[in-house]
Amino acid sequence: MLPHLDAAYNLARWLTRNDHDAEDVVQEAMLRAFRFLDGLRGEAKPWLLTIVRNSCFTWLQVNRPAELAGFDDRTAELHLVDESSPEALALRQCDRRMLNEALAALSAQFREALILRELEDLSYKDIARITDVPIGTVMSRLARGRRLLAESLQAISNASQLHK
Amino acid sequence: MTREEARRLLHAYVDGELDAAKSLELEAHLAENPAARAACERLREMSAAIRDRAEYHAAPPSLAARLRASVPAAPEKAPRRAAWPGWLKPAAAFAAVALLTWGVAILSLRPGEDERIAQEVLASHVRATLGNRMFDVASSDQHAVKPWLSARLAFSPPVADVSAHGFELQGGRLDYIGGQSVAVLVYQRRQHVIDVFVWPAQAQKAQQTLARDGFNIERFALGGMSFWLVSDLNRNELGDFARLLAGHAATP
Repeated sequence: MLPHLDAAYNLARWLTRNDHDAEDVVQEAMLRAFRFLDGLRGEAKPWLLTIVRNSCFTWLQVNRPAELAGFDDRTAELHLVDESSPEALALRQCDRRMLNEALAALSAQFREALILRELEDLSYKDIARITDVPIGTVMSRLARGRRLLAESLQAISNASQLHK
Repeated sequence: MTREEARRLLHAYVDGELDAAKSLELEAHLAENPAARAACERLREMSAAIRDRAEYHAAPPSLAARLRASVPAAPEKAPRRAAWPGWLKPAAAFAAVALLTWGVAILSLRPGEDERIAQEVLASHVRATLGNRMFDVASSDQHAVKPWLSARLAFSPPVADVSAHGFELQGGRLDYIGGQSVAVLVYQRRQHVIDVFVWPAQAQKAQQTLARDGFNIERFALGGMSFWLVSDLNRNELGDFARLLAGHAATP
């Protein structure tokens, strides 16, 4: 029984976007977690996911630096909800494959925030700890991530309309 | 609340991260603004779409096997068997924290009939999940669970089939809450177990949401039955589930 192994793998799989690499990163991260078990304070899940997340980003920096380049939160506009948005229909019509593709295409920082929030049900506080940013940044990343996801689903939906 | 502020807080509201005072302010704003209400609905749909359709990648069994094999190589220099408790430490720490917060939650409850029931249903849920004995009758078929429970109780609990909405019936069990035997219907949503406690009640009661560190509770009374839902599922989805069950209870 390895606690939270599924959560660790799910995060690594979404960040590396590849089964083989996710397995390698998680194995290394779990062994490191085991070694630093004394550093465990508070709940185990956010603690473990912090280690897995850091391993993923180190791996991305070495193997896919282009994916992390050019990401900058600070230039982001205020994370306001757009009240008049046309994406509702695209969202309702999108299938599993389209949604997974759109999610995988987001920047790693938006992707991890959404995965931790929606698939792992973690609080803003835990996500802030795992991704090492302030809670305000977690909020704006979730807001922008959802916005970009909606736009990308809209674009996919428009493209498939054209082909019909 | 200004429109700007409402637009800024909407994500936190949908994520259940807004404090009670701000939530009330925002709800008042939503009640008056159809456009903001529509935006809130869209956010909920987006959140639900990701939860329902994004793939959850569970760890392959080969990875767990590789990890087990590598554990003795850790610098503890401990023999294979002695290394095991180390792996269990996070789980034990987690369980201790969960029990502690649960204990604190119980202590901080105000006395009173409702709070006592909240205490009892929460205790029943935690006992069942910790003991891994969730049901006396395991079946996803409502027509098997309902007669089993009816045969052992002085009433016949309504058992709704809501699998179309992603809530799978797992089975049912009997428990003793508030001085009477009650039915417990066990549903599952992804990896979350939801206990639905049902017993006869005369008065109707509007849906009410409680939270006890880590566990969410929804309650309502309708159609002659009192319903209490307990789960570690997030508040939004448990609320949706309660509304689904209320819909079924209203039109049997």
